[in-house]
Amino acid sequence: MKKNLGILGILMVVFLATAYGSKSFFTPYNLFNLVERSSLYGIIGIGVAFVIITSGIDLSIGSLIGLVAVMFPFVVVEHQMSLGAGLMAVFGLSLAVGVTHGLLITKLKLQPFVVTLCGLMIYRGLARWLVSDKTMGYGNESFAGLKVLVGNASQLPGCASLPGAKHVPVVFLILIVLGTVAAIFLNKTIYGRYLLALGRNEQAARFSGINTTKMIILAYVLCSMISGLGGLLFALDYGSIQPDSFGNFYELYAIAAAVLGGCSLRGGEGSIFGIVLGAALMRLLMNSISMLGIDDQLEPTVIGFVILIGVIVDQLVKRIAAHRRAVLQARQAS
Amino acid sequence: MILQRRSRLSLLLMLLLFAPFSGCAERDTQSGNGGSGGASSGAATPKVAYVTNGIASFWVIAEKGAMDGGKEFNADVNVQMPANGVEDQKRMCQDLLAQGIDGIAISPIDPDNQGDLLSEISQHTKLITQDSDAPDSDRLCYIGVDNYTAGRMCGALVREAMPEGGSVMIFVGRLGQANARLRRQGVIDELLDRDPDPNRYDEPGAGEIKGDKYSVLDTRTDGFDFGKAKANAQDAIAKYDDLGCMVGLFAYNPPLMLDAVREANKIGKIKIVAFDEEAASLQGIVDGEVYGTVVQNPYKYGYESVRILAGLARGDESVIPEGGFIDIPARQIRKDNVDEFWTELKRLTATGTPAPETSADETEAEEANDDKAEPAAESEKTE
Repeated sequence: MKKNLGILGILMVVFLATAYGSKSFFTPYNLFNLVERSSLYGIIGIGVAFVIITSGIDLSIGSLIGLVAVMFPFVVVEHQMSLGAGLMAVFGLSLAVGVTHGLLITKLKLQPFVVTLCGLMIYRGLARWLVSDKTMGYGNESFAGLKVLVGNASQLPGCASLPGAKHVPVVFLILIVLGTVAAIFLNKTIYGRYLLALGRNEQAARFSGINTTKMIILAYVLCSMISGLGGLLFALDYGSIQPDSFGNFYELYAIAAAVLGGCSLRGGEGSIFGIVLGAALMRLLMNSISMLGIDDQLEPTVIGFVILIGVIVDQLVKRIAAHRRAVLQARQAS
Repeated sequence: MILQRRSRLSLLLMLLLFAPFSGCAERDTQSGNGGSGGASSGAATPKVAYVTNGIASFWVIAEKGAMDGGKEFNADVNVQMPANGVEDQKRMCQDLLAQGIDGIAISPIDPDNQGDLLSEISQHTKLITQDSDAPDSDRLCYIGVDNYTAGRMCGALVREAMPEGGSVMIFVGRLGQANARLRRQGVIDELLDRDPDPNRYDEPGAGEIKGDKYSVLDTRTDGFDFGKAKANAQDAIAKYDDLGCMVGLFAYNPPLMLDAVREANKIGKIKIVAFDEEAASLQGIVDGEVYGTVVQNPYKYGYESVRILAGLARGDESVIPEGGFIDIPARQIRKDNVDEFWTELKRLTATGTPAPETSADETEAEEANDDKAEPAAESEKTE
């Protein structure tokens, strides 16, 4: 929690500043939208965090999201298979992608950047080819049941009468469940500690008896599976999927959220709560920019600056902490 | 101590961040007409929004029309151009609704699958569609062109450019959009002498489409990547020795095709037929390098959208025409009328000009539009 104070601070300031500057900001309608968007990006941020923690990277997330989003209606509507078969296809594909990435990186010793960059191109092309660039939609009745996942909590079975449920996006609940499981896995289980350890120093981890190959493959599998889930949720939410562009740059948003949230690209560090805050900050900034009437051409610039400031502050804080620790140790020694 | 320093740093950061944001907020509340965003400022000056389907010079002209409409009809106009497809469009619309906007004119990217968003808009405010229709939604009216007919007009230009017949390549940003698919189908149907049927769709991957005189070799898409658009044109020139004509269906395609043809020294040998009013395309027509172009009237899309939304916001339902369709017909521009058109375009897009009542060449366009299909059928083609 302590290490997320910086980002939490920025988040609060931007939130309060926007609430102060625009009376439309702090309304149930806008906050619902904001929480929903933050949750969607938070989910894929959690996915990529597992990979970043092992000092890897996954650039193929956006394309995988595009492929998953296209494949689901392709299987269910065009090939009239059951919803279950569609879900199996989607998660089977995500699993296969994760295992392939992991094997290429661990067995062939290819660099994660290269492997996933190729993935970025391969999955995008596949998505376009699969449906001949046709726009895929989620308007079909088969998806009506799943649409609940991108609705509000009052649409969940048995929750209709819960007070305030209609102001809570279901994806936010999914994020909470996923985030809690991921945080427990990362911090409280031995495998999570293995991941952190191998991210800091893979060789040392291997020599101390950790099966690093398995753990790295596991990280890529988790990343792809969570991206697959994210892709499905994004697709259900937006309803219209253009195979050539759906999911473009999502990997960068996910990576930026992870970095903002305290993940080091050198590996070995990261907190799930921080990543969720990072994703929320980016969505909040985009929302603030429209609410405050700042030119939306400046949107990427503002976001870029905030990430940069976040990372600079993080770095400064770490340096000061290290310096203080050194002074303290020197004093104790003398 | 560490924590203290940390909070000091956070405070500094907050100040750094706070300064520009609070400045903007103050500035925004002071802004009057033509400002973008902020909370609603009362019924006297309705706040209306014009939402495009992307960022392009075409939309910059429409923005000018919308802004001029704002001055003319005393409305505060907020123009939003989504950079990243349906996702951005949804986010922008929701943010506008949160700001209590009095009306939205939107060019839906995928009308068939954006039903949820469109009904969300129509529940909160006045919804009209422009440029691309969504007849199944609760939109109050549609302002735009019939893209299938416009495509046929483009095909007619190809026939004029290449009366002896020949092979044709089509270039377009993406085929996922209804307007692109309709234009392409219009070109193909015109070249193959088929009866008008906006619901027909020739799969782009199905290979060459052969007619008696004309054959369409292929359709290449570039996903709005200009580098790829030019490479597509270059590859087509390299691949097909006998290529007779290149058709570019999105505004940026023809100038890039022209570049590629110039570099290959095939000006005159390969005809170019354009769509939209990109300056380089118009210059190409003046110089005789481009045969002609089919233009819409984006200025009017913007202007008319604001006129209708401002009227609706003031409770005047009579601004909506019978049938809920305002036809802004497409026009064919060739060497003989390019100067006149371009002068008019420059006048419209110059700062501080009054909005026109009618545009040049509309009579000609109406003649060409005689056999146009029902506009309501338009967006049913998106699959």
